[in-house]
Amino acid sequence: MGNCFWKIMGNCFSSPTSDDISLLRGSNERMGPRDSTISDHLGPPPPYVSHEDEDHAYMYFPSPNVSRPASQLTEEEQIRIAKRIGLIQHLPSGVYDGSKKIRECVICMIEFVVGDHVRYLPCMHTYHVDCIDDWLMRSLTCPSCMEPVESALLTSYETN
Amino acid sequence: MSGVGGLPRRIIKETQRLMAEPVPGISAVPDENNARYFHVVVAGPEGSPFEGGVFKLELFLPEEYPMSAPKVRFLTKIYHPNVDKLGRICLDILKDKWSPALQIRTVLLSIQALLSAPNPDDPLQNDVAELWKVNEAEALRNAREWTRLYAMGN
Repeated sequence: MGNCFWKIMGNCFSSPTSDDISLLRGSNERMGPRDSTISDHLGPPPPYVSHEDEDHAYMYFPSPNVSRPASQLTEEEQIRIAKRIGLIQHLPSGVYDGSKKIRECVICMIEFVVGDHVRYLPCMHTYHVDCIDDWLMRSLTCPSCMEPVESALLTSYETN
Repeated sequence: MSGVGGLPRRIIKETQRLMAEPVPGISAVPDENNARYFHVVVAGPEGSPFEGGVFKLELFLPEEYPMSAPKVRFLTKIYHPNVDKLGRICLDILKDKWSPALQIRTVLLSIQALLSAPNPDDPLQNDVAELWKVNEAEALRNAREWTRLYAMGN
């Protein structure tokens, strides 16, 4: 229970865990449980780090059917993935306001709700940000029309 | 999108829609113990050498679905240039042309279409594809014979 509480609250208040404190002090010694009370007397806590992400290494997709943790990527793959992340982040996104005719995100098949974060691809197909980003990390194509996102971006730059 | 260990909403929705509006000539029923595993039956399309046959397949939605394609395999023996001895299917949308906008429904429709239009230029079963190219009449005869032997009356 306490763990869940800190995980939830951590997102809001950036509360430290005992591991974070030991990092702050540069101590290599394992801290005892009583040391957790020290956190009350410390200054602003360090940013919350989700330890869950460390347990399950995030998988990257150097090509659509190949998944590997970051530690096993070649330098070339890392550069390509970094470029891809940059490109994805530059794609326009916004908040669904209900004015468009589209009703459902074809990836999760859940209806758009006003306030949902959506991303617009150059071909103007729209998806939930989380849904489409997950796909674009594997393949830089629009799921609906298969148009390559990169070339479509270039074309839209040229025409504008 | 789903609770821990729960079934994603999308899979539930697709299953409901498949039940409510089934694809003509195809039935896909989720396994009672595993909602990601479907028992599929495809009727051999009219005008194809598979006509009159009933072909069983299995379809599995991997953990990554819909980011990765369903895994589909023929369980009924079939004489087809794009299906190998183990029932594995050579179909681009199940491999590099997969898109999360595709669904169980579209995959099954594509497999039905593959039965109507075998593609010996992109073979998985080389001997079958070879015969299909050099002597189509004999290949069609074999396909009809296999359909009669393995896909009828069970």
